[in-house]
Amino acid sequence: MGRLHAEEMVLNMGPQHPSTHGVLRLKLTTDGEIVSHIEPVIGYLHRSFEKHAENLEYQMVTPFTGRCDYLAAMGSEHGYAMAVEKMLGIELPERVEYLRVIFAELQRIASHLVAVGTFGLDVGAITPFIYCFRERELILDLFEMASGARLLYNYIWIGGLAHDVPPGFVEKTYEFLDAFDERVTEYNQILTGNKIFIERAADIGVMTPEVAINYGVTGPSLRASGVNLDIRKTQPYSIYDRFDFDVPLGEGIQGTVGDSWDRYYVRVLEMKESAKIVRQALDQLPVEGDVKSAIPRRIRPPKGEVYFRSENPRGELGYYVVSNGKNVPLRVKMRSPAFSNLSVINEIGQGFMISDVIAILGSLDIVLGEIDR
Amino acid sequence: MIQSLANWILSFDILSGMGQSIAWGISLFVVSALIFAFVAVNAIVLVYIERKVSAFMQVRLGPMRVGKFGTLQTVADALKLLQKEDIIPEKADKPLFVIGPWIILVASVVTFAAIPFSDTLLAANMNIGLFYVVSISSIVVLGIVMAGWASNNKWSLYGAMRSAAQIISYEIPVGITLIAVVAVVGSLNLQTIIQAQAGSSNLFHWIPIPLPNWFIFHSPFLFLASFIYLIGATAEINRTPFDIPESESELVAGFMTEFSGLRWALFFLSEYANATLVAFLVAIVFLGGWQSPFADYKGAQISLLIVTLVSIMWTIFVKTKVGRLSVYPLGLSLLLVVAAWLFPGFAVWLSSPGLFWMLMKVAFIIFLLMWFRWTFPRLRVDQLMYVSWKVILPISIVNLMGVAVWMWLSGEIQF
Repeated sequence: MGRLHAEEMVLNMGPQHPSTHGVLRLKLTTDGEIVSHIEPVIGYLHRSFEKHAENLEYQMVTPFTGRCDYLAAMGSEHGYAMAVEKMLGIELPERVEYLRVIFAELQRIASHLVAVGTFGLDVGAITPFIYCFRERELILDLFEMASGARLLYNYIWIGGLAHDVPPGFVEKTYEFLDAFDERVTEYNQILTGNKIFIERAADIGVMTPEVAINYGVTGPSLRASGVNLDIRKTQPYSIYDRFDFDVPLGEGIQGTVGDSWDRYYVRVLEMKESAKIVRQALDQLPVEGDVKSAIPRRIRPPKGEVYFRSENPRGELGYYVVSNGKNVPLRVKMRSPAFSNLSVINEIGQGFMISDVIAILGSLDIVLGEIDR
Repeated sequence: MIQSLANWILSFDILSGMGQSIAWGISLFVVSALIFAFVAVNAIVLVYIERKVSAFMQVRLGPMRVGKFGTLQTVADALKLLQKEDIIPEKADKPLFVIGPWIILVASVVTFAAIPFSDTLLAANMNIGLFYVVSISSIVVLGIVMAGWASNNKWSLYGAMRSAAQIISYEIPVGITLIAVVAVVGSLNLQTIIQAQAGSSNLFHWIPIPLPNWFIFHSPFLFLASFIYLIGATAEINRTPFDIPESESELVAGFMTEFSGLRWALFFLSEYANATLVAFLVAIVFLGGWQSPFADYKGAQISLLIVTLVSIMWTIFVKTKVGRLSVYPLGLSLLLVVAAWLFPGFAVWLSSPGLFWMLMKVAFIIFLLMWFRWTFPRLRVDQLMYVSWKVILPISIVNLMGVAVWMWLSGEIQF
């Protein structure tokens, strides 16, 4: 009798696929349902942010940063603004710093809501996704109040903010925070403790701290592996050293430390921590202050270079800005957290099933706009 | 007594003048047209209800624009589907691609021939009704594999393979669970199975709680069996949490990926026909089919009174959102209890068997299936197989033996 001939099948997941979170293509080498190799193919959403930045004045780059990580536009703008301010040596008014932190943390909640919801969607739970979007809408309403836009804000400018927040904003934010804790309990009831969900997420795609560090994984995905690295804590920028908050770490409650469930749960906990920060910032928010007072009329940084890193919802967002003394940057390089986070998928996803690869991808929480830039 | 719809149509005077074979032909045609109309309308109604149920679970409104409360939305969707371009991929295996959906549809529609809607309303009174339904409904897998293979698409192939493995695996525990009921009744005839559940008795015939004499309350083993059957049947019709063959977020649309327009609508039709079939089977086999839950009209009055008292207590003591929502069932049960006490005729109607009770039970099971779908995540394919072969199958085999021992001990059968 001859040996049964079987060969591996190459399966193209994407660029058009419901669960690749954008236009990502994964080349899966599959042996039946088991995936033996994963090769991410990126570049389908390339918008040449860095080349644009080389031809635009410093102020004009701000809107482009938001378009990279479109789920966390405030965070991206914040990072870029802080990088250029470091170059120029601008001292910001207190009110600007507080408002920036409020917006960055609200954005973190909104971004994590999408991550948590779509992770549920990836493992087949549709209802939690809608619940998450319900809360995200409330945050977007707040952003709309302040900036007029709901997705791409162009709100955090170099040296200040585009406008001060309108009257009623603070009260409305308090209202949101009061309701939010109860809502997180709702997600935990419908998804976090669900037996099927735990079966699908626990012990899947375990990322050991060594692997995470070797691949440069940052953000919640790194902290889920038990590595305590949050730039807000280790190298406090802006005014993060004034707030009292914890950095949730993966503990392997349902399985191994660093599995998909941990990556999910760290995000759930981080939302609560962010809400704590927003509340503290609102309590301490100075009433006086002109948010536009420190905005420079012309930006001509001295010759030199600066690297500034901040903690975006997806991880460590770095801006490397080189100036040659003109009003146009010579080079703006963006260190994209999702790019490094995606690169680990072959390492942690091998040997799992197709369904697991989707769960792992969902738990890494990538945004293709930021990966391709 | 009229045995079936076909015989009833044959009894019309207009047919008596014709030859017997022509009369049979006409009556068969009318009956099959009625069944198909039921399946088609049922799918349209269920899609609307599913969208509304999911919307209410997700704090949305659901369809609201087409017709009052969006009632015509699914009609509009169906018309749109009919108009869509019928695409057959160039590399597809054309004959299989064309007949695949039809096999699925036929297999799911034909099963309704044996389903009794009430004591008189059924297409054909078969002495092997249960066997017929279970065996015909498993032909569906053939159509799914055909459709998946013929699409010449890797996603479709995955979906078809998963579906074949899943449906075949779950046939076995489902079959064994149904055998437990057959062992109790001693007949495969669905009408006999329902008739055996008439009246009322104590819980498990032993604990003095008066309950309808349904098989779900027959013994602890059949109680367990009804849940095993519901789980297995949910898997067999590919609904969440067992919807891995068409899992949207993994396999795009599984075996349906390459289908469009009418052919895709056929899949949809058969999906809802299968869900209804499962609901009917649960109602028939475990919940007494068209039997009323009340033994007599006094029972109806007292039961409704108890329900009302419980919902009053619930409304008073449960201070959550759910507790506040119970005002609506409270109002309904109050209305019913007043009606049942004031008009004995209404209570008599409630306690008599009929189409109403069958449809109520079916509606409840379908709601249960929708509830699963919109709250659970999806299992992985190996977990699905694990559940089938290592959990449900052993339990159902032990269960079958348990039923036999229970019947021997309780003296229902003697050797």
